[in-house]
Amino acid sequence: MTDQPVVPGMPGAEVVPGKDLGIIAADVLRSRAESLAAEAEIHELDDQMGILLFRLGDEWYAIKVEDVREIDQEYARTPIPCVPDFILGVVNIRGEILSVTDLARMMRIGSVDVTGDILPAIVVHNDDCVTAFVVDEIGDIVDVPVDSIEPPLSTIDKLQAEFIAGSLYVNGSLVGLMNVSRILEPIVAVG
Amino acid sequence: MVEFDRSAFIGKFQEEATDLLQRLNEGVITLEGDPGNASLIDQMLRDAHTLKGSSRMVGLIEISDVAHRLEDVMVKVRDGGMSYVPSMSDSFFEALDAIVYLTDTAGKDVECEIDLEALQVKLTVLAEGEDAEAPAPKPKKAAAKKKPAKKKAAAKKKPEPEVVDDVDDDEDEGDDSEEEAAPAATKAGGSMKQEDSLRPKVQHTIRIRTAQVDVLLNLVSEVVISQIKAGQRSLELRTSQSELSEIWQAWVRLKSTLNALSTEDEGLFAGIADDMSMLDTLLSERRRSLATFLKDYTDDVSRTSIVVNDLQEHAMRLRMLPVSTVFNTFPRAMRDLARSFKKDVDLIMEGGETELDKKVLEEINDPLIHIMRNAVDHGIETAEVRKQLGKPETGTIRMEARQEGDHIVIQISDDGAGIDPDKVRAAAIRKGYISESEAAAMSDREAIYLIFERGFSTSAIITEISGRGVGMDVVREFIVEKLKGSLDVESEMGKGSSFKLTIPLTLAIIRALMLRVGDQTFALPTASVEETLRIDPTEILKVEGREVIRRQRRTVPLVRFSDILGVPAQGPEGVKVPIATVGFSGHRMGFICDALIGEQQIVIKTLGSHLQKVENVAGVTILGAGEVVPILNVPDLMHNARTRAGQRTGPVEKGVDSGPSHILICEDSFTTRELERSIFEAAGYHVDIAMDGAMGLTKLKEGLHVDAVVTDVQMPNMTGFELTRAIKTDPALQDIPVVIVTSLERDEEKAEGIDAGADAYITKSVFNQDTLLDTVERLIR
Repeated sequence: MTDQPVVPGMPGAEVVPGKDLGIIAADVLRSRAESLAAEAEIHELDDQMGILLFRLGDEWYAIKVEDVREIDQEYARTPIPCVPDFILGVVNIRGEILSVTDLARMMRIGSVDVTGDILPAIVVHNDDCVTAFVVDEIGDIVDVPVDSIEPPLSTIDKLQAEFIAGSLYVNGSLVGLMNVSRILEPIVAVG
Repeated sequence: MVEFDRSAFIGKFQEEATDLLQRLNEGVITLEGDPGNASLIDQMLRDAHTLKGSSRMVGLIEISDVAHRLEDVMVKVRDGGMSYVPSMSDSFFEALDAIVYLTDTAGKDVECEIDLEALQVKLTVLAEGEDAEAPAPKPKKAAAKKKPAKKKAAAKKKPEPEVVDDVDDDEDEGDDSEEEAAPAATKAGGSMKQEDSLRPKVQHTIRIRTAQVDVLLNLVSEVVISQIKAGQRSLELRTSQSELSEIWQAWVRLKSTLNALSTEDEGLFAGIADDMSMLDTLLSERRRSLATFLKDYTDDVSRTSIVVNDLQEHAMRLRMLPVSTVFNTFPRAMRDLARSFKKDVDLIMEGGETELDKKVLEEINDPLIHIMRNAVDHGIETAEVRKQLGKPETGTIRMEARQEGDHIVIQISDDGAGIDPDKVRAAAIRKGYISESEAAAMSDREAIYLIFERGFSTSAIITEISGRGVGMDVVREFIVEKLKGSLDVESEMGKGSSFKLTIPLTLAIIRALMLRVGDQTFALPTASVEETLRIDPTEILKVEGREVIRRQRRTVPLVRFSDILGVPAQGPEGVKVPIATVGFSGHRMGFICDALIGEQQIVIKTLGSHLQKVENVAGVTILGAGEVVPILNVPDLMHNARTRAGQRTGPVEKGVDSGPSHILICEDSFTTRELERSIFEAAGYHVDIAMDGAMGLTKLKEGLHVDAVVTDVQMPNMTGFELTRAIKTDPALQDIPVVIVTSLERDEEKAEGIDAGADAYITKSVFNQDTLLDTVERLIR
């Protein structure tokens, strides 16, 4: 996927590849604090939500920052036999074994290219489950008002509907917000 | 599937209990004036019984215990074994008050101040004569619960390690009432042992949550892995040292050549002399410093390796408990078993002090009970038969535990009839596992191993003693799959049989054979590997289109790892074909891989929380270099290999899936009913309910189609036994499996359930979501 689609206002290029999410987050927090101070706190912080943008194929998606544990740019993936096709294997992250998910394939919208360079993996978690899903490109972290999130488009394909929790406009373009609990449903691959 | 939350049902239980307790209290008062009121006694007995069952369902074991004692007394009174005297009322009220208190504080972080122990003793004395060996009160639990002031000191009283959380209240560890020391004042009976709390004691032990120990052990295995890595690094350093030596030698040669040149061309040499001497110094310094560094580093590594090994051993020991913690419950279980099968059996236990990982111990109880049951049921003959055979009338079952290297061996032997290979053959043919010709070709030893086949269970009814209706197959798979051990059987006709369980000391570390399939390395647990071979391709024979080899006059079918795992094979490097033969359930199978790498110790890790179960893969391990290697799952491999090799693996299963299964629950207790309903609904069943047997039967007769009926026993209008009988005698209904879930545990009652035609019998004491679902699933299938 060499021809990266240009999404209007999508600030993907501003992110230094490999830059620590913590640093990015810190930057965002600082700028957020500054802008808040400047705006004389029109918005309460509670009304805002941080989302991380990422690209799968030609589409941009978003995930809540609170669901993200870390982003890994360098890892060694080990394939595991007899798993569903959207499981690319496992990785060893500081002694912890995590599954590697091809989210695009899971959603049946294509698949990521794992033959070339290592693609960035976003580690998402909830109380019970953790996985690292591979994306074509990591975008920016942006703050959006919570009430800007709309229900998913009704025209969305049934296969993808369960993965999308809602949709929202970021800098003028429509982005699907992922339903993390669907991604994190435990997998039992038998028979 | 979502784990159901017992605490959600505590509220419902409290509502139900309030009514029951009220009625019981009134009953006691009425009974004082009218001790012969049979219908009242019956009513009270039922109430106490319901209370027992419901409290058990929501995990309130103390209440259940007290109610159980009450019930014992009531049974005596009802059956005329004793008559009600007003003096009994005091104990009754005390018991009821205790239940009221326990009910009110259920699920809360409140310390129990009631001396349950004394109360139970009192009630047992009251019911005395009924059964001299009535279960002793649980002093451990009671002791821990009734001394709020010295909560932390509770453990000191027991210098011996103890299984802290018993299976029943594992789930609500978080809000375990033992955790908080918040004494609540209560007047509910019982003497308080305050004096204990005043005596200062030296702390020899501390109580630690097992989860904390597990975290520690995880960290320790990380340290072990780093240590292995460090060892490899020092080897790499050694390699680079010898490379440096070669460079040095090359330099020395070059230097002498250059020195020879210098006499011929002074001018040229002068230009490089400085550089030469600098390089000379640098190189020799480099050599020296690397040598020193390597020596220091190697010393450090070997020193830490000793410490790390110690650390690992001691950390593992934290979780080690003597086998006796499990063994101790067996004499009682054996007595009950012997009685229910009407046989005389002595149980001899040895090696109770052998220590085993707590995780393993927790898992091992059920398989052991099952093997014991098998021995009593099928092994030991009746006293008359034994007499005729010239054996001592009382049979002997011997259970021994001992350590052998890094394994624990538990051997259960009986001096019974032994396993008849012909009977097993016949049953296997009847059930369609093997053909007659296959049976004839089998050695006796192979035939005996048929008892480990999937679904090979001879018993007609699922009872709680055999757990979830487990056959030896499940025991075997359990030992191999979950505990990474092995289970073997030896038997001699007329002399007895002996089951040998070999279990690794700890679940965290096993030995594994590393092999290569395609471009990937896999680990195969050594416990199941019989031999590794590199054979000439001409030795591979084709029999009926299958590849086989001959080993020790036996034919071993071959399968390719690459086929089973779906990994492209690369083919062996040399001419010879590398094969690992695996023995499981008496079958041997040769697995062809691309290369055999070697055997080593590995630390087992799960596949992570996302991949809960993957066929053929039991987990992963991390090798020294950080490489992640999948660990293969032997039972899965064997199952798939045999399917692939075209061998029959079991009776044909109903493959057609006709939507969600339909269950009818007959249960008069609101709590139990709702709990069962939620379990089944969470598992995707469609549930219908009935308040009693009569209502359930009406629904069925009216044409309600269900796949199974789950029923309580004691219900108004029509009992569960009557319902079962009615279903089993009705030609239209008799195929519906009936599962009895009850707190009746007496053998006669169990016999009545079997007699009525029930397909499974689960007592509420062993009740949990998995038991219930597994049993029903087995029956529906």
